[in-house]
Amino acid sequence: MNAIEINNLTRRYGRTDALVDLSLTVHTGSIFALLGPNGAGKTTTIKILMNLIPPTSGRATVLGVESTRIGPKERAQIGYVSENQTLPLWMSVRQLLDYCRPFYPSWDRNLETTLLKQFNLPRGMLMKVALMSALSYRPKLLVLDEPFSGLDPLVRDDFVQGILEASDLGNWTVFISSHDIDEIERLADHVGVIDGGRTKLNESSESLLMRFRRIEVNLQGQTPLLEEMPTNWLAVDRASERVIFIDSRYSEYTADSPYQRYFPDAVVTSHPMTLREIFLTLFRSDRKTSVGIRL
Amino acid sequence: MLPFSIGLKLGLPVTEQIVFAVKKAVVGGQLQTGDKFPSVRVLSQELRISPNTAHKAIAALVDEGVLVATPAIGTVVAPHEAGDRKDCAHLLGAEVERLVVEAKNLGIEQEDVQAAVAAHWEKLETPDRRYSHK
Repeated sequence: MNAIEINNLTRRYGRTDALVDLSLTVHTGSIFALLGPNGAGKTTTIKILMNLIPPTSGRATVLGVESTRIGPKERAQIGYVSENQTLPLWMSVRQLLDYCRPFYPSWDRNLETTLLKQFNLPRGMLMKVALMSALSYRPKLLVLDEPFSGLDPLVRDDFVQGILEASDLGNWTVFISSHDIDEIERLADHVGVIDGGRTKLNESSESLLMRFRRIEVNLQGQTPLLEEMPTNWLAVDRASERVIFIDSRYSEYTADSPYQRYFPDAVVTSHPMTLREIFLTLFRSDRKTSVGIRL
Repeated sequence: MLPFSIGLKLGLPVTEQIVFAVKKAVVGGQLQTGDKFPSVRVLSQELRISPNTAHKAIAALVDEGVLVATPAIGTVVAPHEAGDRKDCAHLLGAEVERLVVEAKNLGIEQEDVQAAVAAHWEKLETPDRRYSHK
């Protein structure tokens, strides 16, 4: 069973399409990162998954349950932390934890104590307390909506460590939406990129990092056949002596790379790209040439 | 603290980076035969990586014979055998390239680089780390 399955999900707000035919699968036991620019539909997706709003059409299942049927019983197995969360500010941390504890039969006091020690309050207190109260009952699924926004690097690091502290290999799934791509690159097993409410990418971080390379060609005086370059070569930039582009299918070449064919005697070097660079390439090149791009 | 040196870089698969760092630590003697290797949990927490990735890295290292899983004790460093010298040379490829590029940038002659390598080699040559050539 997959932890989350989203099939052809559409959500309209009046005349605005927030989600259009969105499909994503989150495998049980993975750390899944949902990435996309502002307004891509990340929070709408999460709100539907948490049954805070219904979809206009399509369906989503969370831990095997239809999203529209998620109630208290399911919520006891889901930890949800959102940047917009409101916490009862008049309570002390102890009071809040004392308040939350009885709601969850699976509450783990040892983990609570470990997290309290590790979290070094009051630095970044609100988000940490929200995370702590969501982790301490050892949820099967942790849903985090922009957990890092507005946090300094120290707090972010504490936060990541706290998430991993509660991990339970194979039996524990994290769904995280974030702009913090560098943090995500190490943490996530799987990356989903959405744009304008549609799925743009859905693949493992490893395959993504293997697939994209920045290619630099030193022409050595030659004239390349630039007219018929493959469509998976993105953001082609050409100076007199050099051609630089992003190849989105680098890992697919087995024996011969096509570079030989296009630039027979040139010196070609390939450079790995960070998730951030891949993300920027996807969105930048898309805006320049909106058609014909094969990812 | 982890028993081997690693600085994760962005842009390269994490599993691959860990496997490389561990192999290097074994070749360089930082990890010795029988040393206890950190658990999935420790590796994941120390490096701030997904437990799946940590698990994959350890599995790959066991698969390649760098680590052995022993019941009750956990994962330990496997005996480092001769015969995998080619492997070691491959591991050092990137380092060698960097060295050559730096040397050329600085205008150092090849012989001088080789002499420097030999000197360092000599320094590290301790009995328990020497390969047994049969």
